[in-house]
Amino acid sequence: MADNKKTILIIDDDADYLFTMETFLTRNGFAVETADDGEKGLALAKEIQPGLILLDVMMKSLYSGFEVCRQLRSDPLYKGIPIIGISAMKDELGVQFEPASDAEYFNPDAFFDKPIDKDALLVKINDLIQAG
Amino acid sequence: MNQTIQNSLQDLTFKSILDALPCYLMIQDRQFNILFANHSFLKDFGAQVSGKTCYAVLKGVQHQCQECPVKETFKDKGLHVSEETIYLADGGIVEMLAFSAPLFDVVGNVIASIKLLANVGSIKRIHRELVTLGQSIAFLSHDIKNILENLQGGVYVVDEAISEQDHNLTLKGWDVVKRNITEITRITQNILYSAKDRKPALQDVSPEDLARQAGQLFFDKAQNLGVQLLLQLNPEVPNVKMDPAGISRMLGNLIWNALQACQKDTQKKIHQVFVRLDYYDSHHFMYEIEDNANGMDKETYENIFKGFFSTKGHAGTGLGLMLVKRIVTNHNGKVEVLTKPGRGTLYRIIFRLGYVAEDALMSSPALADGRMDDPCYANHYLREAQDGG
Repeated sequence: MADNKKTILIIDDDADYLFTMETFLTRNGFAVETADDGEKGLALAKEIQPGLILLDVMMKSLYSGFEVCRQLRSDPLYKGIPIIGISAMKDELGVQFEPASDAEYFNPDAFFDKPIDKDALLVKINDLIQAG
Repeated sequence: MNQTIQNSLQDLTFKSILDALPCYLMIQDRQFNILFANHSFLKDFGAQVSGKTCYAVLKGVQHQCQECPVKETFKDKGLHVSEETIYLADGGIVEMLAFSAPLFDVVGNVIASIKLLANVGSIKRIHRELVTLGQSIAFLSHDIKNILENLQGGVYVVDEAISEQDHNLTLKGWDVVKRNITEITRITQNILYSAKDRKPALQDVSPEDLARQAGQLFFDKAQNLGVQLLLQLNPEVPNVKMDPAGISRMLGNLIWNALQACQKDTQKKIHQVFVRLDYYDSHHFMYEIEDNANGMDKETYENIFKGFFSTKGHAGTGLGLMLVKRIVTNHNGKVEVLTKPGRGTLYRIIFRLGYVAEDALMSSPALADGRMDDPCYANHYLREAQDGG
């Protein structure tokens, strides 16, 4: 398998977000693959084993982001792929998706709320890919 | 005056005071039999409750309740509180707060429990409404944050495209910006419209003009989405008195919903949205907005007119259809929804010709026969429509 450490997989059901985030990441030196629902995202993650996944947690598909994350985390082959959870609901619902608090269900390496601070996101992506 | 009141109070019996309490009060023995009930209780549960168990009278069951404050009171001689759902003799269901306290004999044994039931239904309802409001604000905030993300992203793409002198990328980024400005404008207008339950400002208007104008607003967007937007308007439908702003909003929300449903449906190569105007019967006319997208499942169908229920993920608050329902109701009209998963959805809005505010639209036999509510009819209709029938 090719080294896909600089490849980021974006899984989100919002076409505008996929396009703009893909543009942002490619302009910052990453290769990008996209999937517009959880099922496709999970399959693509297993196929290409990206260096990192940006994962929307609240997709309206059979596999939500939570389920995608759970399946990847429970498979020894893929559990090392860094995952950044993305949502626009974290603050509103008071949801705490911190790794330590809900490790069984959803265990991202980091979490960002929309609208995303892109500078902070880039720093986190680079940290996670280098540590991976 | 005080002396008069004092004298009157002395005349009151213990029972008359209990009867005057604006809540239910009863005294029960250890076997949960009712020994005494006050007037309010007897009025709502019938006069023949003495000797019956509380669970039989209040719940209509033949076994003790799992959580029972009276049982706890007999056990520990303490005051206990619980929330209970009570079934009234007239079939009504009320949520009540129950307090149970011990009645002692001279040596301190509990000989009975006095139970007081206060109706907290209205408080519970307000509580539920507040919870709903909180959730609604959270969902609205979610949608707005998604749009902000896309606006920021779109601006970033345009900036990059300008610096790279990439005309195609500029157009793509600008499309993202325009689409999300449209979306946030729509959400804002819907919020403003829904914030107040306004009465329709009636004017003499042409239903055809309103439909044509609403359709024209979406021709470009439909084209961008690859959807054919087709107007089939009967020019013979006469002018009526309606609120043009409300009807335009109603039509706009329905057309936009239909276009977005088509956008989400990846199973068909050709997508069409029809906007129709025609007579419904001799007393009514109708608008129809029909798409050949993916239709709705049962859960969606049952929730579409509730505020903040949306299947559009990032693209919808669910506010639009709630407003449609409200606008139609304010015009004494009726909404019918015909849908079939995989085939499409048709919204039919029926108004009385001429429109009189207090007139009884629903008295029309054609509307009262329920034929449109029959799912078989709905399926049949859509099959015909899709087959060109």
